[in-house]
Order: sequence, then C-alpha cells, then structure tokens
Amino acid sequence: MQRWTSQPLPVPAFPAAPWERADLEFEDLLHDGPSYAVVLFLNNPDVAEDAIPDEMPGFAGHFTVFAHGDCWGDPGHCDPPGKPVHAFDRRAPHPLAPINITVEITEALQALKDVEEVTVTALAYSTEPDKREDVLRFGRLTLITYDPPVTL
Amino acid sequence: MTLQVQTAGAPRLATLHIRRSLAKLTAGQLADLRAAFQKTMALDDDRGFWYFAGWHGEPFNWCHHHDRLFLPWHRAYLYYFELALQAQQPGVTLPWWDWSLLDHLPHAYTAETADGADNPLLVRKVRVYQSGTDQPAPPRAPGGPQARGIPPPPYRARLHHAMQATSFTEFSRRLEAIHDDVHVWTGGIMQDIASAAYDPIFFAHHVMVDRCWRIWQHRQPGALPPQHLLDQPLRPNGMTVRDTLDVKQLGYEYAGTSSHVPGPTT
Repeated sequence: MQRWTSQPLPVPAFPAAPWERADLEFEDLLHDGPSYAVVLFLNNPDVAEDAIPDEMPGFAGHFTVFAHGDCWGDPGHCDPPGKPVHAFDRRAPHPLAPINITVEITEALQALKDVEEVTVTALAYSTEPDKREDVLRFGRLTLITYDPPVTL
Repeated sequence: MTLQVQTAGAPRLATLHIRRSLAKLTAGQLADLRAAFQKTMALDDDRGFWYFAGWHGEPFNWCHHHDRLFLPWHRAYLYYFELALQAQQPGVTLPWWDWSLLDHLPHAYTAETADGADNPLLVRKVRVYQSGTDQPAPPRAPGGPQARGIPPPPYRARLHHAMQATSFTEFSRRLEAIHDDVHVWTGGIMQDIASAAYDPIFFAHHVMVDRCWRIWQHRQPGALPPQHLLDQPLRPNGMTVRDTLDVKQLGYEYAGTSSHVPGPTT
C-alpha cells in the first residue's frame, strides 16, 4: 500500500460561501504498470490502511485505474511517451500518455463544514504490489468547487 | 425475434440483431455463443478471437480509456467482434453481464465444462496474434487481493448516479469509473488493459457498458459527444464517432423482452 497526503488546499468555507459541487482532479496520472485502486480521505492523514473506508472520518470516495500492466514489447516499447516525431505526426496519442481522473467529493467536503483548508490522503493499492507498490504517480492535484447558478 | 430498420447506405430494410441479458439466454442461445467463441478461437488469422483480442491490448493497443472516445471506440470494437462471431455462427449476439444486479461472475463464464467439453467462455490461455505460442492465463479472482480498495458489485446505486448525468462527458466519466472497478474486481487477465480482452468475459462486461450508454441515449437524445470529436475516426477501421451514435445503424438493439407475430402479408 502506498500512502500520499497532499499539502493543504484552500476551500471556500461551506456553507458561508456556498458552492454546489466539488471535484478532485488528478492530473497527468501515469498508468504504465499494474492496475490500482485509490481510496481518498479528507483531513485524515493518519487513517488506518486496514480500516473500512466508508466508516472512516473524511472518506471522500475512490477511483480505480485500469492500467496497462506488464510491457509485452521489446525494450523501449513502454518507455514514457515522447513528443511527436515532427510537426506532421498525425498518429494518435501514445497509449501510455498520462490521463486525468476526476472524483466527485461534494458530500464529503460539505460535511467538513467551515474548514478553510483541506488535505487529501490517498491510499493506493496495487493489484501487483510485488511488481510495483508506488503506483500512484501524477503531476498535480486540483480541488475545484462550482458555484451555484445565479438566481434573479 | 425480428426488428427491421432502413439502412443508411442502401435503401432497404434489414433485420436487427438483438443483444440479450445473460440471465435470459435460452440453452440454445448460450450453446450458440459458446460455439461462436469456440470457432473463432480455432482461427489464428484476422477472422479469429485472438486477432480481435489484440485490438484492445497487446499487440495493437488501439483501445481508448479515460478519454471521451472510451464509449465510441468500444462500441465499434464490439460491432466488429460480433460480426466476426456471426461469420462463424450466424445469428449469434453478444450478451451482457448485469453487474448492477449480480454480485458474482455469471455462471456461463465460470463453468469448467459445457455439453461435455471445455467451456470456451472460461479463460485458460492467451495467444498473442500470430505469435504461435500459448501462454497460460492466471484464473480470475473476483474480489480477491487485487481488488483491495474497490467496493464489490452490484453497482446499482452508482449506475443510477451515472444515468443522472446530462452531458456525454460526465456520463462517460461516471460509467467508466464503474467499468474500471469491474475489470480490477474480476482479476486475472481482466485486470490490465494489455490482456483484458483475451478473457471472453471482457465482452459481456463491455456489452453491459454499451447497453448503459444506449439506455442513457434514450433518456438524453440530444446529448452528443463533443462536436469536434464527431468526425474522428476510430482505429483501426475508420468508423467515426458519429457512426457509433445510432446502434440501429450498426445492426443491433438491446431488449429486455421482445416478441413478434406474423402480419397479414406474411
């Protein structure tokens, strides 16, 4: 199991500053190894790894990355995708190009009430920990809240 | 069971094929499905199971995941694979595994034998297209250690949530999240993109995904994939995203039940 906790992310205090939806965006996730599941908690960096997730404080949801698994090609086949060969390279993106994953955390974040910042703790479970345990690799985590529509 | 629609190309009526729930297959329909897999698995050329399994993962890697081509690409994929099955076993259609209701793998795919022979729907090996060698496939392990962190099926509430989406992008994202869980919860070669389509249960899973999209299309008839993607060709055959939007023009439909009677002119 891999544990990762974010730096604090500022949050518009709910319900004082109302918003109607909140998403976590994991950007530039790598998926070149074993598939993995990630369970997310808010403001609970020490959550026990063997706990039942949805019974723990701050449980915010989970996502699974159906990843590519072992490389079946010759050496270099599954190296990180590089840039297009040249400006006229029309080929589809490399299958291992990083992906983004969105997780809706509206209810979990609203339940915290009146907090001004939040940390995200991710427990990542590799399907093949003997081959790779540090499966959660990504470039940036963004917390987005959406304001309710304007009412006249 | 027949439904007729007018085809897009030639002005003629053609009979639709009906995809059914695994739970409602007759013994004869299930036998036809097994026969279709058996016959295509005996072919090591571009008519065979191994060739089409290679479209998704190794060696061709043409599939799309975690982007907005996920649903269109897999609909086209099922279309071509089902045609390959029908070429060997006329009239057969791919059934769906309803993981919104079922908390275990469907028996048709787990039975060791059927009609006194090995069940071709039970994964046993991987044969990479024209490699000439068979590799043993690890058995599925539903809910096993590989599924840690993943809630088990049935996924009824989450599918209901997905169906509430009003934009294609949001619907696709929510449905793909369930789809990922099913793959990894199932385990074995289903848990990785590279190998998943070598397991016959892959197709029952993806027919369910495609069926959910079809039902959602009924509810949101104006909600299309993003405009700039509609004319994008899907590998390898050039079918576009737009071509995948109407299942009737792909020759199939989903049915919980259907029945028919002859009319006065037949």
